[in-house]
Amino acid sequence: MTNESLTRDVPPNRDLIEERLVVWYFLASIAYLFISMFGGFVMAFQLIRHNPFNGIELLSPGRWRMIHTNAVAYGFIANAFLGNLHWIVPRLTLRPVLSRPLSYLIFGAWQIVVLSTAGGILLGEAQGLEWGETPVWIDPVAQLGLGLVAVNFMAPILKIKGPMYVTLWYFLAAFVWTFLTYAMGNFVPQYFVCGTSAGAVGGLFIHDLVGLFVTPLGWGSMYFFVPILLKKPIWSHGMSMVGFWGLAFFYPLQGIHHFLYTPIPMFLQYGAIVSTIAVEMVVLTVIVNFFGTLKGSSRALATNLPIRWFFTGMVFYAITCAQCALQTTLTFQALIHFTDWVVGHAHLVMFGVFGQWLLGIMTYLFPRLLKTEWASPKLCEWHFWLSAVGLFVMALDLTLAGLFQGWSWAALQPWDASVEISQPFWIVRIFAGIAMFTGQVLFCVNLWKTWQLSPLNVAAVFSGEPSGVSHRTV
Amino acid sequence: MQSNTSRSDWRFTVILAFTILLPCLYGFGGKFLEFIHIFRGNTDGMFAVTPIVNYLLASLGFFCMLAWATMRGMFHDIEAPKNTFWETEEWLDHRETETAR
Repeated sequence: MTNESLTRDVPPNRDLIEERLVVWYFLASIAYLFISMFGGFVMAFQLIRHNPFNGIELLSPGRWRMIHTNAVAYGFIANAFLGNLHWIVPRLTLRPVLSRPLSYLIFGAWQIVVLSTAGGILLGEAQGLEWGETPVWIDPVAQLGLGLVAVNFMAPILKIKGPMYVTLWYFLAAFVWTFLTYAMGNFVPQYFVCGTSAGAVGGLFIHDLVGLFVTPLGWGSMYFFVPILLKKPIWSHGMSMVGFWGLAFFYPLQGIHHFLYTPIPMFLQYGAIVSTIAVEMVVLTVIVNFFGTLKGSSRALATNLPIRWFFTGMVFYAITCAQCALQTTLTFQALIHFTDWVVGHAHLVMFGVFGQWLLGIMTYLFPRLLKTEWASPKLCEWHFWLSAVGLFVMALDLTLAGLFQGWSWAALQPWDASVEISQPFWIVRIFAGIAMFTGQVLFCVNLWKTWQLSPLNVAAVFSGEPSGVSHRTV
Repeated sequence: MQSNTSRSDWRFTVILAFTILLPCLYGFGGKFLEFIHIFRGNTDGMFAVTPIVNYLLASLGFFCMLAWATMRGMFHDIEAPKNTFWETEEWLDHRETETAR
């Protein structure tokens, strides 16, 4: 497209992107992050025998542990990605999403789904599926919501003529995969199969939720933001295609590697292991591609904070994938199964990778959305370091705890012994959590101060004024 | 029109693709044959049908999409989209700055 045709055909920015909705999604995402962190603290204090809410059923750590995981996946990550999609898809396709009213409907419906899930879990109505504890009565609404998300964003993408940029491939796949994965995990074991078969499907669901929902949205976003911030195209688009199609074909079989040594036949377990090894190689292509892009611009790691968030997340991603390679060997799985190694791994993936990316995206986009620079770049730095170092300490601590627990069980020591040796690790985990929490508080303080400097009217962002772009009367 | 993809880029991509695909095809093929043997001789393996069918259906969908994309010429000049995207983004940013003024 020439500049003339772009000027003629592309709607003005205010018609292209619903910036107010991006802000709404980001704010909702941050709110759920705090709710999730509260759940994490309840469980963490319970483990060191200092639960301040002892005896209060509605605040029982078992229930808040589920709120912790669900609020992260469906509250923090899903909301942030939806806001992110409202920014990226129109800019890449040069077309607005299918319908703005539908976008607002989805926003409202999604918050109802997440809050109902939290309410259902608190009232003891959780579905018996890891990461899918959404009560059965909310599942159809969530499924419908995911369908509407797909329709709303796929409409402009499918109008594109000619070769698509890798980000759009990832997003297209994510819309289809998420819809199918949610249906498979929440309906198949609940209504159609039982026993080991349901377990196998549950395993696929857990892993596919990470690999087919957040991973394509995450990498798709990185392929969008990294070239923009580094001011040069991605190193190899061909290699990014290898990464995308590799993920498409190899990821869906991996889930059963969560169930090694179970009654599931060994050929399926080995199939999952082969698939995991294949994905390790695919991951390598993606990481090589991004570091190839960084080559010659590595100073950006020091000077450009969003880039530092993104590449820190990528390093954590490489670590989690190396962990996966170890975890899927049968001998190593025997040692770490049911231990805190897995909890450390989950934190590394969800907060270390996707959390870092999303917070990096917010660090980049909030000034653009609020039309002003960050009030305090120093607070931005503190936000980054407290989050990254806190997470790193927590993951390392839980990884070590997992090894000690595994060795304790392998030595056939009593269960209590493994609990006792875990205490120092669980105490360190609390301090790491406090660091991460403090980082988010500073982020919110900075955001509030930035908003005060913004030419945008704060009230307009929450009222009916179009796009929240009405300027203060000076 | 000059292609954005150099011959060495192509060669590198193809080599990498095959390095990943061939061992995996070998691995999956072997496991799939095992599945068929169990399915024929041992009814205990029947429950594995659900996850396998899930995977095969998903993969079939993506295989069709890959074929469709190839036929539409999506990979003809495989490096072109990265430049188009980057130039368009620059143009959008430039327009935004102009509008703000």
